Amino acid sequence: MSLAARRSASAMRGHENVKEIAGSAGLALVALVVWQVASGLTFVIPTPVETLRVLVANLGDPAYLTDVRATAVAVVSAFTVGTVLGGIMGLVLGLSRWARLIFEPLVIALNGVPKIVLYPILLPIFQLSGSKVVMGILFALFPVLINVATGVREVPAVYWKLGRSVQASRVQMLLHIILPTIRRPLLTGIRLAASLAVVGVVLSEFFATRRGLGRVVLQSYGHGDYAEMVATILLLIVVSFTVSIMLWRWEKRIR
Amino acid sequence: MMTSVMGGDVEPGTGDDVSIERPDTESDRPVQLPRRWRLSDPLISAGATAGLLVVMAVVAEVGARSGWWRASTLPATSTMLSGVAGLMDDPQFWSDLTRSGLEIGLAILFGSTAGLLSGLLFWKLPTLGRIFEPYLVSFYAVPMVLFYPLAIVVVGINASSVVILATIMATIPVALNTTVGLNGIRPVYLKLSRSLQCKPHQMLFSIALPAAAPFIVAGLRLGVVYALIGSIAMEFVTAQAGLGYRIRYYYEIFDNDRMFAYILVVLVLSVLLTALLAGLERLVVKGRTS
Repeated sequence: MSLAARRSASAMRGHENVKEIAGSAGLALVALVVWQVASGLTFVIPTPVETLRVLVANLGDPAYLTDVRATAVAVVSAFTVGTVLGGIMGLVLGLSRWARLIFEPLVIALNGVPKIVLYPILLPIFQLSGSKVVMGILFALFPVLINVATGVREVPAVYWKLGRSVQASRVQMLLHIILPTIRRPLLTGIRLAASLAVVGVVLSEFFATRRGLGRVVLQSYGHGDYAEMVATILLLIVVSFTVSIMLWRWEKRIR
Repeated sequence: MMTSVMGGDVEPGTGDDVSIERPDTESDRPVQLPRRWRLSDPLISAGATAGLLVVMAVVAEVGARSGWWRASTLPATSTMLSGVAGLMDDPQFWSDLTRSGLEIGLAILFGSTAGLLSGLLFWKLPTLGRIFEPYLVSFYAVPMVLFYPLAIVVVGINASSVVILATIMATIPVALNTTVGLNGIRPVYLKLSRSLQCKPHQMLFSIALPAAAPFIVAGLRLGVVYALIGSIAMEFVTAQAGLGYRIRYYYEIFDNDRMFAYILVVLVLSVLLTALLAGLERLVVKGRTS
């Protein structure tokens, strides 16, 4: 392909891209309009403007910020520990045929169960503050584990041979051969882990916790304070959505 | 291997799909035993899994009996098993099971229908598909359970609020996978259908859907799992009936034995469902390639 043709092709792709982003933004706008209309139909749904007002007021409230911090700390620690643990377990499962034969069925089975039902078991062991982090880890662990294991297993045999023929050490193998080869599934796993850490923590906070945004949602539901409830839901959704979309775009770029 | 157009987590062969047969890339590693000593891999897996389960059961039994931990934290295996046996003639349990089964079944039904239809739509109208793509892909970033209080205030605290949210959860993977599968059809298939002057329904049912079947089936399997997880989690958090709700209920009234019996039942049922689906998927994919 000539340079000019390639340039025009990439310009066209850029143009497409802008159109798609505009379309996606338009879709968000449509959702906003639907929300506005729905809020006119029933008193339980606050208007978007009202929700935004409550949200801004909340973010200036130190007590609310304590809840935000509690959830954020739990999510970040669950995500970090879950990704590292999942990555290590995935490596072991991907590299060792015996580890895979022995543990793979249990891993797949555990991945398919509703993990939240284990929360009452975690509570007496890890107390109120630790249990939601452990639940978040359980949620975040599996996508990284499974994607890394599958990715490592699909590393072409010639790469291993190359590594052996240049007498790469284990660390070099990991850093220069395995990680670059599995970067796509690894990043997919990390994106899902980030999302699922939020889901796990918030779900746990719905059940029982001392502080956190999940508790705020449930409490404002109990009080019939729907503006507060929707504002908190909005905050959680917008933040986790933005993180997820940014990771996804990064993932698409490195393809 | 096909690369997906949408989130890479949904292609069969990566993501949480480990059940599909793949060429073994490890054959050059020195792990092979002499041929006559070699058991078949599924047999080793089954044996190891059974062994691990027995070990866990024994540890739980011995640990709880000899006071390594408090029996309320994790009761002995025998206690849990007799609890499960006790549930079998408890009408409450059967009504919970029926309720959850109904919710999950409806969510699967509606979710796969909606997912298949939207997948077809996104395939026919690619621009629409690309506009929706970031939302579908990042969908799991949203804890659906957040909408549960909202669903309760809008439709009331009954089975339909659980069904609605579980349906949405089941729809997404089906829609994503259907779109990815249909977009990945080799163009020559569609050219063939045009040169044979297939009618639209022939082209859809005899060419497009079978060609995309591995992806669609993987999507349906995920859809079923999400319907199950969604329904139980939603019941667990706030509901008035169902298996998930009962676990919370027994937790709150400190009836540990019954709570653990319910937890065990939920775990076993979902593992059985996962195994069943993996088997079905293998059948479909194998039947196609042989």
